[in-house]
Amino acid sequence: MSDRMIVIGGGLVGAAVAFGAAREGLGVCVLDQGDSAFRASRGNFGLVWVSSKGAEMPRYAAWSRDALKLWPDLQRELQELTGVDSGLRQVGGFWLGFSDKEMKARYELLSGISRAVDGIPFRMMEPSELRHYLPGLGPKVAGGSFCELDGDANPLMLLRALHSGLIEKGADIVSNVDVVQVRYDQSNGVFEAVAADGQRWQAERLVLAAGLGNARLAPQVGLQAPVKPSRGQVLITERLQPFLHYPMNKLRQTVEGSVQIGSSSEDVGFDDGTTPDVIEWQVKRAVAAFPALAKARLVRAWGALRPLAPDAYPIYEESESCPGAFVVTSHSGVTLAAAHCYVIGPWAAGLSQTPPDFADFSAERFRDPNKSFSHAH
Amino acid sequence: MNVETTDLAIIGAGPAGLAAACEARTLGLSVTVLDEQSAVGGQIYRNVVSAPRARSAILGPDYSAGAELVSAFASSGALHLDSAVVWNVATDGTIDYIREGRTRKLSGKYVLLASGAMERPFPIEGWTLPGVMGAGAAQILLKSAGALPREPVVLAGCGPLLYLLGWQYLRAGARIAALVDTTATSDYVRASRHLMGALRSWKELRKGLGLIAALRRSNIALYSGCSDLRAEGTCKVEALAFRQDGRSVRIPTSLLLVHQGVVPNTQLSWSVKAEHRWNKAQLCWEPVTDIWGRLGETALYVAGDSRSIVGAQASAVQGRLAALSIGNRLGVLPDITIRAAPYLESLKRYTAIRPFLDALYRPKDENRVPVSDKVVVCRCEEVTAGQIRRFVGLGCQGPNQTKAFGRCGMGPCQGRFCGLTVTETIARERQLEPADVGYYRIRPPIKPVLLGDFVE
Repeated sequence: MSDRMIVIGGGLVGAAVAFGAAREGLGVCVLDQGDSAFRASRGNFGLVWVSSKGAEMPRYAAWSRDALKLWPDLQRELQELTGVDSGLRQVGGFWLGFSDKEMKARYELLSGISRAVDGIPFRMMEPSELRHYLPGLGPKVAGGSFCELDGDANPLMLLRALHSGLIEKGADIVSNVDVVQVRYDQSNGVFEAVAADGQRWQAERLVLAAGLGNARLAPQVGLQAPVKPSRGQVLITERLQPFLHYPMNKLRQTVEGSVQIGSSSEDVGFDDGTTPDVIEWQVKRAVAAFPALAKARLVRAWGALRPLAPDAYPIYEESESCPGAFVVTSHSGVTLAAAHCYVIGPWAAGLSQTPPDFADFSAERFRDPNKSFSHAH
Repeated sequence: MNVETTDLAIIGAGPAGLAAACEARTLGLSVTVLDEQSAVGGQIYRNVVSAPRARSAILGPDYSAGAELVSAFASSGALHLDSAVVWNVATDGTIDYIREGRTRKLSGKYVLLASGAMERPFPIEGWTLPGVMGAGAAQILLKSAGALPREPVVLAGCGPLLYLLGWQYLRAGARIAALVDTTATSDYVRASRHLMGALRSWKELRKGLGLIAALRRSNIALYSGCSDLRAEGTCKVEALAFRQDGRSVRIPTSLLLVHQGVVPNTQLSWSVKAEHRWNKAQLCWEPVTDIWGRLGETALYVAGDSRSIVGAQASAVQGRLAALSIGNRLGVLPDITIRAAPYLESLKRYTAIRPFLDALYRPKDENRVPVSDKVVVCRCEEVTAGQIRRFVGLGCQGPNQTKAFGRCGMGPCQGRFCGLTVTETIARERQLEPADVGYYRIRPPIKPVLLGDFVE
């Protein structure tokens, strides 16, 4: 048995955790689906973001904050190892409000998080001050907030860098695999993953990072991942001259010059299509923010499915009944990439202790039948 | 938003769309035809009504034949929405389109997709140099503006349209430096097996032979069985280099027109996630339909070259058959068999020549899957064949992942110009059939639209 860890899922989450283990010298095998898989990683908006996260779970706010601090190391390491630039820009980011009511709610949200967790600063801004950073802002913008920690990256290049890095570190990436079953042999402590076509893999450790697929696989090794799809539609324009020098939570200009507009949150099951009404609504808001965008061509729209837990926070947990099996589920594969790599990777590899206060991320929180969850994220 | 409704909405005003509209109107259905151009006719009959007589004479009798269909359409009572860019179609028959700077909706009880064909890419070294263009695109310039090349032009590749354009250029007095034909003796041998069937379309066959004979009688330098085509030049094309009978030939030119057939424009049918199959004879995707052209259990039909390359006459017949089936479903034509019978018969006649043409003008492997790693495949994002092959080495399984690996297919053309090449390149590299590799996930907007078109 050459591999010591199987990672199911080769998206941003699985690849980051696998890379975190492989760089420590562990033999890792990543099992990835085919060309038409749902792949939330491909539809990711690309923010490296902490603002407004974790209002109801301070541990998550702190986790996102710490992930942002680790990001430059990951960017540098992958660049040196693979030559692929993940496109990290930590220049601060903005949120825009279109009414006083939205501004007030934003202030309350951000100040609440700031009180609960250290080191997540923010500043509310009037339109006149916003225009200093964001020239071309339209008259309908009522104001905004700014956080110096926020930024963005290129999700596709990050994914490619992680895959190249895995290959550099000697990991196996097996594509076109649809894992339908995972099991644990208590007598020898070996996990086995079985694919739909009958192929099998064995290892001493198992990481479930299969996005929406985790819901089905987790219970097979004593874990829970009650994730459901939340659709995000993202629009992208042709390449334009650089004019947005800061990312916003629903609008950013990529290094290539195209402007991304997004991302919606819709509860529509496993439909990853796009809809004219959402496209229209998103375009209207983007043009209200920056009227000059009216002259830009929309060249693409896509829908992607976020794997979302009932409270929209991540699940990180080791199985009690099948020690060595981990579930890792998060829809913030870009923001949390460095934490998944440098913290979750070694933990799942058995090389480090459980990080502090990780009980907060256990799926135990969904077992309380009297608890209801809001869907804000 | 105000949603207009109609019994039958037709996308595309070429032979299939126009004939479907005429047929549906005879059944009393309300019909709306959306088309991107300012005048009906599609690519084949582009500008047929307003083209000056001299130009029509140059373009030949097949072109002028379109005038009859166009005038029948004009008096049919169908509504024609010109300059309408369809950017989204749903399986329930809802269409989103841009016209006069604003997005609009049209709801058809049934929708006929008749978006025609597009030129197959010709990914050889140097094909992205300025001065290299498709013969089909050059013919569009001739039809719409009477534009002719001023310098001697080189035509290269294979297929009826290449010879037709050569013939039209001859009649117009344009100078042709050379016609470089990739068709080899082995192609004639392979095609000869289908000759008997093709004789059922003897009129077509005779026309084609006539074109080629006319080209041979002229003083044009004709090269046949050519391989290793390469466009040379630094800032723009300077010459076409190739091999023939073991020797190297180089023909200087400032305009190189390439062509190796047309393929169905399947962007709309892909965008609704319809099932498609790989046509091994035509080397392209085609949507899976019933004999009337219906896509599964949807409100959508496909007719003409966007369903499978059949040519103008068969396209028109397919349009009529789709209209009959739709009339049947809407209850205005209880018995479809009697009315459909003659159409089904002429469809057989018009398509009998196809296996022969497909075999004879099968584009060469080396001109579909680039041999050189340097060849640019995705023109929008400048991704080369070598890069795509490297992505496969990194675990890229199919076209959708090439986007993630290197932005291939993510430009404004939505993969129209690179999709087939990407699929075939990956298939070759992974030693699979194109059908096992698949195609891009095509999503709206099908054509780029201005963000401002969504704002009042």
